Amino acid sequence: MEKEALKLQLKQQIVKFLNLVSTKPEDIKDDEPLFGDGLGLDSIDSLELIVLLQREYGININDPKEGRKILVDINTMVDFIEKNRTK
Amino acid sequence: MLFIHDTSCISPQLSFGDVDLQLLQPVVNRRLMAKEPDYKGIPPGILRRMGKAVRMGVGAAVPLLQRAGIPEGIILGTAIGGMEDCIKFLNQIIEYDEGMLTPGNFVQSTTNAVAAQIGLMNKNTGYNITHVHRGLAFEMALLDTFMKAEEQPDALWLTGAVDEISSYNYNIERLGGWYKEEIVSNEDLYNSGTKGTLAGEGAAMFLLSGIKQNAFAKIVAVETIHTDDAGFVAERWNRFLENNPSDLIISGDNGDSRLNQYYAHLIPDPNNGTDLVRFKHLCGEYPTASSFATWLACYILQGQPVPGSLYQFPAKNPGYKSISIINNYKGQQHSFINLSCP
Repeated sequence: MEKEALKLQLKQQIVKFLNLVSTKPEDIKDDEPLFGDGLGLDSIDSLELIVLLQREYGININDPKEGRKILVDINTMVDFIEKNRTK
Repeated sequence: MLFIHDTSCISPQLSFGDVDLQLLQPVVNRRLMAKEPDYKGIPPGILRRMGKAVRMGVGAAVPLLQRAGIPEGIILGTAIGGMEDCIKFLNQIIEYDEGMLTPGNFVQSTTNAVAAQIGLMNKNTGYNITHVHRGLAFEMALLDTFMKAEEQPDALWLTGAVDEISSYNYNIERLGGWYKEEIVSNEDLYNSGTKGTLAGEGAAMFLLSGIKQNAFAKIVAVETIHTDDAGFVAERWNRFLENNPSDLIISGDNGDSRLNQYYAHLIPDPNNGTDLVRFKHLCGEYPTASSFATWLACYILQGQPVPGSLYQFPAKNPGYKSISIINNYKGQQHSFINLSCP
């Protein structure tokens, strides 16, 4: 899958999994922080994102420190998915 | 004695904010679905995780807490809580073969999620409890509040009830014969002559205390009975009315022909001044529907006009000062509640 198509798919999945009712996938910028001042996600959302990576891409994140480096923004997530996806 | 200081209600009718009960909101697909407001008082980040029951419960509580501050405790009743989220979570267990599951649906699906969420949002670490006694869950919350108010008369308690229509419980209850098979409008509910009723949902919240000052109504008595004996219910009801004389009766008649026997004794004596109204065509049937009736009684005791569609017989004595509610759930769980002006 092309990188840009993967980014759009990931944004659509984030909006759906996290029920971001007032956010459109195309509104999420590739370098916008997912947590804090950016998209405003919180610790429960990080669990939802880890489950999303496992279900949709077959990626297990077992080390929380690893998760902090991956769940930064769309760019970091897509880079990680491209390298590690099993489906 | 419990004094009522404030109320709020989300229901299938226009009962939240600018109340208008004259404009009857119709049944859609045998269901009376709640008219949910914009929930402006709930932060969007929290709102997006909420299931319908939690949304309605918290949404109804927010205006009371905004007006009154943090209460001493939160005492709610719900029979099924967030059933829709519960089923989503159970389906995930099957879909993902008992693998990694997301916490959101589970957190939102427990029956105590509503009271817990209200407590979290207001940093209220006081008494926080949810009663789940099916058709008497709201009455148990009231009885609990009676006891707390005896212990701490000066304290303010947030008491209420919520239940939702989920596709799961609607289908199960329909298969069980509790909802009408034919299409029936609100207006025809009581004349259908068939078994079953209309599904309903809603949330009603009350700020209660043992202090009379600034209260607009009081809850004088609550009585509950488990029985299917209509004669026993009538006997206990008559005794309840002797102890709590009332000029208006609110009947929980839901148009189910099998349950008429529990309300047959309510036909008023033309020689006394008691009027009789029904409410299930407004909110539908759900286990904590008596909380809607209690909100309705508060509305009437504040001098608001009673819509004509509620009266079973022509009104004789408007300007009500004492109101008794009689309700039953599935012909097994019966309750009587008396309210009056303070």
